[in-house]
Order: sequence, then structure tokens, then C-alpha cells
Amino acid sequence: MSVLRPQDQLPGLNAATILLVGKEDALLQQLADSMLKEDCASSLKVHLAHSLPLPSDVNRPRIDLIVFVINLHSKYSLQNVEESLRHVDTTFFLGKVGFLVTGAGRDSHCSVHRNTVLKLARAYRSPLLFCDLEVEGFRVSMAQRLVRMLQVCAGHVPGVSALSLLSLLRSSESPCLEDL
Amino acid sequence: MEPQPEEPGAAERGGSAENPIPLLLRLRAQTKQQLLEYKSMLDANEEKTPEEIIPEKQIENKIEDLENEIEKVKIAFEMKKLALDRMQLSTALRKNLEDSNIQTSELMDNMNHILKLNKIIMKLQQESWDLEEKLLDIKKKRFELKRASESKFLEIQTEKNKQNDDLANMENSDKMKTLQQKLQKEIQITTVIQHVFQNLILGSKVNWAEDSAFKETVLQLEKNLTMI
Repeated sequence: MSVLRPQDQLPGLNAATILLVGKEDALLQQLADSMLKEDCASSLKVHLAHSLPLPSDVNRPRIDLIVFVINLHSKYSLQNVEESLRHVDTTFFLGKVGFLVTGAGRDSHCSVHRNTVLKLARAYRSPLLFCDLEVEGFRVSMAQRLVRMLQVCAGHVPGVSALSLLSLLRSSESPCLEDL
Repeated sequence: MEPQPEEPGAAERGGSAENPIPLLLRLRAQTKQQLLEYKSMLDANEEKTPEEIIPEKQIENKIEDLENEIEKVKIAFEMKKLALDRMQLSTALRKNLEDSNIQTSELMDNMNHILKLNKIIMKLQQESWDLEEKLLDIKKKRFELKRASESKFLEIQTEKNKQNDDLANMENSDKMKTLQQKLQKEIQITTVIQHVFQNLILGSKVNWAEDSAFKETVLQLEKNLTMI
């Protein structure tokens, strides 16, 4: 399939799948391991991908949450994410997409400005999370957050839907940035 | 649900070592939620999407309006839920009051305590309000005093400046000069007259040293000689 759609398949019973898209293999792998270590009532599946579109010959379950990982140290990862965004259906952006930015800690190595990523997240109206994936503690707490978000997006939390989570996660935007 | 270690089955990443009944209830809630999501998606897709191309700014505004609407609906829902909970609570309380013995009920103790606390709160609030009023009055008075002292200082300063100016003017004015010149002239005239008297007395060859009054007059004239 060239475009990812959220309702292509029926949801598996008690199963939640997250897709991590990014170029940094080691970081993604570590994040996936931290997420799988988390205590969660539903069965988790973590898929890793360099970029979209995904190869269509693999039999994969319904994807509940896509997280695009952007490394502020390399412009290439931003470009990769921007290209992959085109292969995602618009209905996915109603709460089932998130951006994760890593590498913001070391300002001297950053070649992508924070504002660029902020504008990207605001253009797609998706939540933007900052985390230094190389630090163990931050990674674990981010994994906990992602697991919780995944549960909500998969519909495992009664009373909270992906869209309501999206409106909850929306931070108040400063008016000066709105004019950009 | 944490997997119990005594279970013979492997505790895989799904917690399948749970008791069946809670598991089934949870799965039921899950499927309900997922069904709700699909239904809402179907309803959303039934709406006709506008075909014409709308400029981006308008789309952004529309999106924001829709988001605000979502927030309003959520708030309204929360309010209604709150009101419903309150009504349920009040009916439950009323039923409890009807059934139980009023005197010894814990509920009455709680309510009395609440009333006492509320009275104390109101009293303290009134006191703090009064104190704030007093503080405000004092601040106002201080401000007034400051303003008055400022104006007084200004007045003092202007007066001093005027005085200094007047003094300077007086010193440099022409009147002073003419007066001084007149004074000099008079002094000169008096000295000349005194010289004439002296010369008269000396020329008359009178012995002025004998008479004390005479002596004094001559000696007084002497003084002015040195001024030439």
C-alpha cells in the first residue's frame, strides 16, 4: 500500500501497534525496547521503519499510532520525515500521529532549528514531544508516555478517543508564533 | 494487570495470565470504544467535503473554529456530568438522612463541622478585608502627604531662586552705582570741609590741646585725614 490508512484493517483483539519512523536505528531500537519493557495490559507491537512507504508485501496488523522521530543534529532526518509524511492518509492526523524530537540537549550540534520542527508540528496539528533518547531516564519516561498514548489511540482506554487526547495535548500557542 | 508468577502459563507481553472475567470485561470495554470510534468516523465521512479550493488561511481559521467547538462541547459535557453527579449525590444524601437517626449520624457531625469552618472562614475573610481597607487608606494618605510635600518643596525652591535673582539684580543695578557715586562725592566733600576746619584751627594758632572738647573735635578730624 502506498498510503497508510487507519481503517484499512480491523483492530486485533487486545493488540496495539505503534510505528516508529526515523533514520536513527540505534535510538529507535532502544526506544522500542524501553516501550516493550513497560507494564501494559494490552499486547504491544512495535514496528520500526526508515521511511514510508512501507513495503506492501508484509502482513502487518493495523497501525494505531505513528511516531516520526526527528534528530535535530541532522537535516537529513527532517527531510526523510517530511517525505514520509506524504504517504500518510489525512485521517491519520486526527490524533494518531506524533512527532518526537531528539537531540535538543546539545545545542552546538543542532543543525535543525527548534522552530522548524515547531512549525511542522503546528502545520500538521499533531503533538510534538521533546526527548533526549540517548539518556536512559528520559527514554524510559518517554516510553511510558508513548505506551499510554498508544493505548488511547488503539481505543483501549474507555472514554478517551485519539481526537480527545489530541485536544488535551494541545498546548496554548503563543500569539507571536501564530503570525509566522 | 500484573502477570502472577505462580501461573503455569508463560507471562507474555499481554498479561494473558489474568483471571478470565476481568479480562473479558476489559476486552468488552475495548471493543465498545473501538466500535464508537468507527461509528463516529462513519458519521464524519457522511458529511460532504467542500470541493472548491479554499485558501490556506481560511482553512486554518476553519480548523481553529472547529477545535474551539470541540472544546466547548467537551466543557458542556463536563458541566452536565458535574450537575448530574451533584443531583445524584443530593438524592443519596436525602435518602440517607431520611433513613438514619439524625442525632447520632456522622453526617450531621460532618455538616456541623463544615458550618463551623465556614463561619470561621467568613469571619477571617471579613477581617482580612478590613485590614486591606485600612492599608489602602494609609497608602492613600501617604501619597497625599508626598504630593503636598512635593509642592511645598517646589514653592520653597522658587522663592529661593527669586530671592537670589533679586539680590543679583540689586547688586548689578544702576541705582546702586549712582548711589555709590553720590556717597563717594559726599565723603569727599566732607573730607574737604574737615581739612578746611583743620587748617582754620591750625592757622588761628589757638592752643587746642588745652580744651578737652576742642581736643576731641580736632582729633576726630584727624581720623579723616588718613582717608585721603
